[in-house]
Amino acid sequence: MHEDLVQIINQAVPEAKAVLNKAEVGDSSISINAETIYKVCETLKKNDKYEFNVLQVISGTDYLPEGEEGYLELAYILASFTKNHEVIIKTKLPRGTDSNLPKIDSLCGLWRAANWQERETYDMIGVEFVGHPDLRRILTSSNWEGHPLRKDYKVQEIFNGMVVNPPGKMNLGDQQFGVKSNADSLSNKKPMGL
Amino acid sequence: MQDSVVLMKLDDFFNWGRKNSLWPMTFGLACCAIEMMATGAAKYDLERFGCGAFMATPRRSDLMIVAGTVTLKMATRLKTLYEQMAEPKYVLSMGSCANKGGPYWQHGYHVLKGVDEVVPVDVYVPGCPPRPEALIEGIMTLQKKVANERLLRDKWVKNA
Repeated sequence: MHEDLVQIINQAVPEAKAVLNKAEVGDSSISINAETIYKVCETLKKNDKYEFNVLQVISGTDYLPEGEEGYLELAYILASFTKNHEVIIKTKLPRGTDSNLPKIDSLCGLWRAANWQERETYDMIGVEFVGHPDLRRILTSSNWEGHPLRKDYKVQEIFNGMVVNPPGKMNLGDQQFGVKSNADSLSNKKPMGL
Repeated sequence: MQDSVVLMKLDDFFNWGRKNSLWPMTFGLACCAIEMMATGAAKYDLERFGCGAFMATPRRSDLMIVAGTVTLKMATRLKTLYEQMAEPKYVLSMGSCANKGGPYWQHGYHVLKGVDEVVPVDVYVPGCPPRPEALIEGIMTLQKKVANERLLRDKWVKNA
């Protein structure tokens, strides 16, 4: 099925440069060029033979090896309830910065299910979906800073006036396994009062 | 018992009434709420302690059972709900998450490390989640605390 799909994609959208990632164990996937995501998904949805009529998942992963620039990878799991099969479409994006998030086309025009999935991906990984009707944070508060599932995410010290990690309540000696820490100086501090 | 007279302190009389009609707020945050529901249901029957009338509004409830993980997003709302309750009001922190962050204490960027950071807590019930028996013991501990309060005396003696 996958070889056939790669052919269909490359025929309809040549600039997608679809490549099959054949997995020996687990699920195979198809990698495509990020800019063509909408066209590729439209092709797959409207294809009579495969009829991918359901978008099941949009998920993101942050790959940040030490000393490298890293990249984000989005995985779209499409399914057909009429023809009974699934496919995983993967695409890579640069990591960008907080003020300049990586951009990709929204799929809300194809599947309504994309709406909340894209909001969650925006919230957790930090990808801007161009053309999304209502791109707000969905899980964290609207005044949250940063995107928590990024590898270089830093926990806020104070949020809405609440201390996120009160030193009196954190057992930092255990937290930093084996690392010489300043836990002794912290343990003298009293817990946060009301 | 016809025409009989009972002599007791007014505080004791009020406390007897208050401790046997603690109305908790319908307020479940996570898996602890399932145990709280089990406690309220037929098998453990919280109504035996006068504590089974779960009120759907903070304005009619005396007790807030914080059953579950308090996220930072929820913490501000939780504080609002606590402020909406009428005095005298009590807070029972149920389970590890509400006590001290629970399993999220190390990497929980989104979890408040203990509900006592935002509201004063009367009774802590440990467990993950606590069994219904543990919650009942926590409520009985709170009832003992209520029974020993002297609200009228404190108010009147202080202002005399």
